Amino acid sequence: MLGCLGLLVAAGCGRRAGVETSGEETTLVFKHSKFFGNPGAFEALLQQFEKENPGLRVKSETLPNSSDEQHQFYVINLQARSVDFDVLALDVVWGAEFARAGWLKEIGAWFSPEMQEEFFRAPLEAVAYGGKVHAVPWFIDAGVLYYRKDLLSQTHRDAPKTWDELVAIARQVTQDNPGLYGFVWQGKQYEGLVCNALEYLWSNGGNVIQNGRVVIDSPENRQAVAFMRDLIYRYHVSPQLVTTLTEEPSRNLFGNGKSVFLRNWPYAWSLFQQDGSAVKDKVGVTVLPHFPGKESAATLGGWQLGVNACSKHPEAAERLIRFLTSYEAQKALALAYALNPTRKKLYEDKDLLAAQPFTAQLHQVFERARPRPVTPFYVMISQHMQTEFSAVLVNLKTPDDALKTLQAEIDGILKQNPAANVSQ
Amino acid sequence: MKQRHPRQFLEPLCFLSPALVVLAAVTLYPILYVLWLSLQRWSLIAGGHGFIGLQNYVRLAHDGRFWNALSNTVYFTGVSVALELVLGLAIAVLLHRAFPGKGLMRAVLLIPWAVPTVVSAKMWGWMYNADYGIFNYLLGTQVNWLGSPAWALHAAILMDVWKTVPFVAILLMAGLAGVPPELYQAARVDGASPWMIFRRVTLPQLRPLILVVLIFRTIDAFRVFDAIYVLTGGGPANTTETLSIYAYKILFQTLQFGYGSTLAVVVFFCVGLITLAYLRAMRKAGA
Amino acid sequence: MKRLWFHFQLVVLAFWCLGPFLWQSATSLKPATQLTRLPPILPQPPTPEHYLTIFRDYPFLHIIINSIVVAAATTLLALAIGALAAFALGPLAMKGRALVLTFVLSVSMFPPIATVSPLYLIIQNLGLRDTVAALILTYTTFSLPLAIWVLTHFFRNLPTELYLAARVDGCTAFQAFRRVLLPLSAPGLVATGLVVFIFSWNEFLYALTFTATVSSRTVPVAIALFPGLHEVPWGEIAAASIVVTLPIVVLAFAFQRRIIEGLTAGSVKG
Repeated sequence: MLGCLGLLVAAGCGRRAGVETSGEETTLVFKHSKFFGNPGAFEALLQQFEKENPGLRVKSETLPNSSDEQHQFYVINLQARSVDFDVLALDVVWGAEFARAGWLKEIGAWFSPEMQEEFFRAPLEAVAYGGKVHAVPWFIDAGVLYYRKDLLSQTHRDAPKTWDELVAIARQVTQDNPGLYGFVWQGKQYEGLVCNALEYLWSNGGNVIQNGRVVIDSPENRQAVAFMRDLIYRYHVSPQLVTTLTEEPSRNLFGNGKSVFLRNWPYAWSLFQQDGSAVKDKVGVTVLPHFPGKESAATLGGWQLGVNACSKHPEAAERLIRFLTSYEAQKALALAYALNPTRKKLYEDKDLLAAQPFTAQLHQVFERARPRPVTPFYVMISQHMQTEFSAVLVNLKTPDDALKTLQAEIDGILKQNPAANVSQ
Repeated sequence: MKQRHPRQFLEPLCFLSPALVVLAAVTLYPILYVLWLSLQRWSLIAGGHGFIGLQNYVRLAHDGRFWNALSNTVYFTGVSVALELVLGLAIAVLLHRAFPGKGLMRAVLLIPWAVPTVVSAKMWGWMYNADYGIFNYLLGTQVNWLGSPAWALHAAILMDVWKTVPFVAILLMAGLAGVPPELYQAARVDGASPWMIFRRVTLPQLRPLILVVLIFRTIDAFRVFDAIYVLTGGGPANTTETLSIYAYKILFQTLQFGYGSTLAVVVFFCVGLITLAYLRAMRKAGA
Repeated sequence: MKRLWFHFQLVVLAFWCLGPFLWQSATSLKPATQLTRLPPILPQPPTPEHYLTIFRDYPFLHIIINSIVVAAATTLLALAIGALAAFALGPLAMKGRALVLTFVLSVSMFPPIATVSPLYLIIQNLGLRDTVAALILTYTTFSLPLAIWVLTHFFRNLPTELYLAARVDGCTAFQAFRRVLLPLSAPGLVATGLVVFIFSWNEFLYALTFTATVSSRTVPVAIALFPGLHEVPWGEIAAASIVVTLPIVVLAFAFQRRIIEGLTAGSVKG
């Protein structure tokens, strides 16, 4: 079935595919979201690639930062079999979807199992579909818990290991310091909510899809989702405005000193440590709490590099990908933009650790990160999850009803094509 | 009765042809494409591509999320267009007389309309922020404007009204400029109060233009996407999900091009029905 | 007393329009660390760093020029084509005009997100991708329904005697159109022109889809692409929106006064 799809795409592209140029100059177009920081460092990296590969030029084109807008752009362009770009940076949840739609060219043999060993396990799961690898992990992210060291030491408590401990500490601190929020996280109806919710589900031993079966309606999950709601309405540890928060607003709240705990991605750390920040040197980071007897879990984020199936220069495109995901390139980008590398060895690199000591701590977080359900239908499933979890958070639905609805909906979606490869 | 002169058709056609050519060339293919797609089953992910007739429409009729989006859209459209019309008309009447600084005032009036939608949505989102937003600050409240089902849609309505009242006001002001002043003078000589002048002279003169404005505002409000999507993303719990947002999510997130096109066609029909209703109501009132 | 009430209403109106905008201005001058804190309402101290950033680190001027070119071209085209069409549908009383008006209106009834994909295919096949021409073509098309409807209304409102008198005097239809009808419908033309201009200025979806690089990028897309240390560079966005809105206001101020006051002053009514 996939083979037929592949043939169709190849046939469709055949009309447009050009001859591989040799000796002449070929220009590769690389589409990605903007980097935060001085673009000069990335340009220098590309120039180095051009030096090492005479005859190749790389044109870097940025897309808006919103994941939605990028997805929309790719859908329109890749569906129209555009040849306007060769390499694209994909969000970690799009891999299976794009592969299934036939938009990505399979990554060649150079990305061997031995080389894959050098990368974190979780992103590798996210780039595999149908037994083949369709993208190379570029950057990695995972959810972490930020906390106010100074406030916790006032109460003589360590960073919480379980969710109950977090609630207890938050209540105690907010009692002593009225006007503070206990715990802020991303509860708006968008993809980030699913990232947050999954961390509660997983840290209670529950899951969404296991071995191809939908297991989202389980006692563990009901407990976890109920806890998420109780954070707002029962323990009053999280304010109701959590339902409007995304990464930046929540980061701002914590960064202005208004909250004891924050769940966010690692990028926020350097912002908290800036001069003029209200919480400079007062912030600690740790893995997210878990339910008693279970293990902590963090949702995997990050980006991968793939080749446009209709690209006229697939071989050169893969060379660029190989370069950008190499040890040196990832190190340079980590130093310039604080982007977390996907190569495990870099977390022992002396230069990197000297410049960004915080990064070393993240190694254990990334080791245990878990990808969201790897299925071509993920975005569809996520839409349903966003709606239902949001309904729970605004008290429109009970956790039980929400999970029952999700079980039925996700079941229905997967039944559309049982042959679709679904992991975890 | 107009003469049935052949020139009556050919001559105007020359003037009309540029518009027809442009419109047909650019929009005919997309519209036909969307209509054709709505009769297909085409999901890039689930695979399979085939003609299924009206099955998409049947599926739509049973889709609870569609009815939710429809009711959100109707509510949003009804309230915002009503408010915009009333406020726009009031502003147009207010600014109709000559006064020092009139030009400046008209220019200031443009500002909400001139700010890019993406920017104003982000701006309002920021003002609505429950923690550091200016609204809660000035009102001294802690209302969760964008995060509670009760307030979110109304917050979006207020933002949309702010943004598009200038559109209504500008067009109606131009309309007012075209009302012959003798009508006003005659009414005043007859001893009519300002309110009666407004009702008996101004409104009837403006009615056709009000209709045009109403139609276009309704069409735009019914298809609203950017403003609400940036503000709330359709949440919380789909309480601000309009038909366009739903169609967007189906088309570009779940890649179901057939079903998404069906949604678009239904929006088209709804808007068409509303427009016909307006035209009929206006015709009856005018008689 | 009445004057006081009038002025009060003006003040309220000005505040309503300007309020959020003033808030943006204040934000655009705030140092980065104060952006999300309240108080202070006013920047302490005000800093021009955001304005400098958007012009220095980014070819913002080029992008503004793109937007101006696209919006101006669209406005002129839409007004020209629309006025011609309105002439046919109004004074010339073409047969079947209700049908034509309905067809024209139906073009604007589809949600743009549904038509963006097939439109993209058209643009791609015409080889117009990443050009301002693609945007001008698209925006003109989608502004035409409003332009045609509004201008048809204005033309119909004009007394037909003037047009007939001009024809009797020996003008062709086009000359009568140009010399008599156009000047008299100045308010409608200006209002429509403004609306079309602002629509093109602010349009985002098609601009995002059809453009790829700075050579054709317009302001809304540029703002969405702003580089910045934080995910939402509030300071830069605020500065950009001020920079981008002021020209329109100035433009509107200049045009409204000169054209409407100048032309209608000498028009003949009745």
